[in-house]
Amino acid sequence: MNTVAPSSEAETLEQLKQTVSASRLSCWSKCRLQFYFRYVQKLQKPPTAALHLGGVVHLVLQAWNMARWKRQPFNVEVYRSVFDTGWKDQQTPIDWQGEEESQRNTAWNMLERYFIETPIKSNELPEAVEVPAEVDLSNHGLPVLRGVLDLVRAGSRIVDFKTSARTPNAEDAKHQNQIQLSSYSILYREATGKRESGRELHHLVKLKTPKIIITPVEPMTDREQTRLFKQMESYVNGIEGKDFVPSVGMHCLSCEFFNECRRWG
Amino acid sequence: MIVLECNYSKKIGLPNYSSHQFSVSLKTELADITQVEQESARLYEVLQQSVDQNIQQVGYLPATNGNGHTKPVDDKWACSDKQRDLILKVITEAKLEKNQVEQLAQDRFGAGVKQLNKLQASGLIEELLAQTGQSKPRSQRFQKAGAR
Repeated sequence: MNTVAPSSEAETLEQLKQTVSASRLSCWSKCRLQFYFRYVQKLQKPPTAALHLGGVVHLVLQAWNMARWKRQPFNVEVYRSVFDTGWKDQQTPIDWQGEEESQRNTAWNMLERYFIETPIKSNELPEAVEVPAEVDLSNHGLPVLRGVLDLVRAGSRIVDFKTSARTPNAEDAKHQNQIQLSSYSILYREATGKRESGRELHHLVKLKTPKIIITPVEPMTDREQTRLFKQMESYVNGIEGKDFVPSVGMHCLSCEFFNECRRWG
Repeated sequence: MIVLECNYSKKIGLPNYSSHQFSVSLKTELADITQVEQESARLYEVLQQSVDQNIQQVGYLPATNGNGHTKPVDDKWACSDKQRDLILKVITEAKLEKNQVEQLAQDRFGAGVKQLNKLQASGLIEELLAQTGQSKPRSQRFQKAGAR
């Protein structure tokens, strides 16, 4: 475990108050102590097997989206090569528990299944692929919101790709990803001056026979926006008050800071 | 046979007392008079979109300020100032041809560089950084992003 401490804690907290992203806000909502270890203390942990798998799957999907944008023909060999290169790129050793080969096969099988079952036609030109965006919410007394949109399909449909171990239920998926989906809607609306026509969660499920679950989500409502703004307000107030108490629950079992948390108090 | 003839025209003012206008006309045949209302509404939308999309390209403009001095024309960018500065910086530093960047914007977004909205400009910047070898590897981004 390494600690990166180039700036004082006060400086870090000030920076965290100035900008926020969906992943940071989700972490804050899940457990403030996890947030503290990850973003304030900046404790570095090796990537987990699941994180590496998810990252490589995203990398291949990005290449596929970019290729459609450039009107290049579908060529599975190209994506296999992106996949192999991405998989080998393990700068920090990952604890595979002897299952790297099977995880690798699963990841590729998920992508192959996605290419077959995706609702996106091979000639559909994206509106945006993996684009960073930000919006200054200071007129609401809130920080700058930043994020990267995986894909915006033709017709203003915001898509977020997910890898998961379990088959998601549509309502649960919408609820669990509310912070991310609302953040993307706000970013999209500010950057384009128009409303999204809808949002989609594309889950690639890690099963022996992988499954693809597409969850359509309606455009963000005013209530959802208010909800996100309240969450951001709580984030700013919490950081100001240095409120980093743990939220203990099932999610602790997969938390990389389990040991640090046990020692906290 | 019923013939429906539609025309949409728009004229807009431009800097230095200039203006330009564009109109699109079309003629279509209808089998039944009951289709007129629906079809004319549809065509109105099609023609308006077509004119609005094209009229954004202002083309050549006489660049004088009235005193015989030239000045930049149509410097209004639809993206943010920060994005505009970054696009220009990448073009200058990497010695890119401006018309090639313009072509890239047209190919990718169907609009000129100055007409790109913030999302499109962000996409263009990513592409320019990738072309000039300045983009961050994706794998690093995912690791920083936390759990997916």
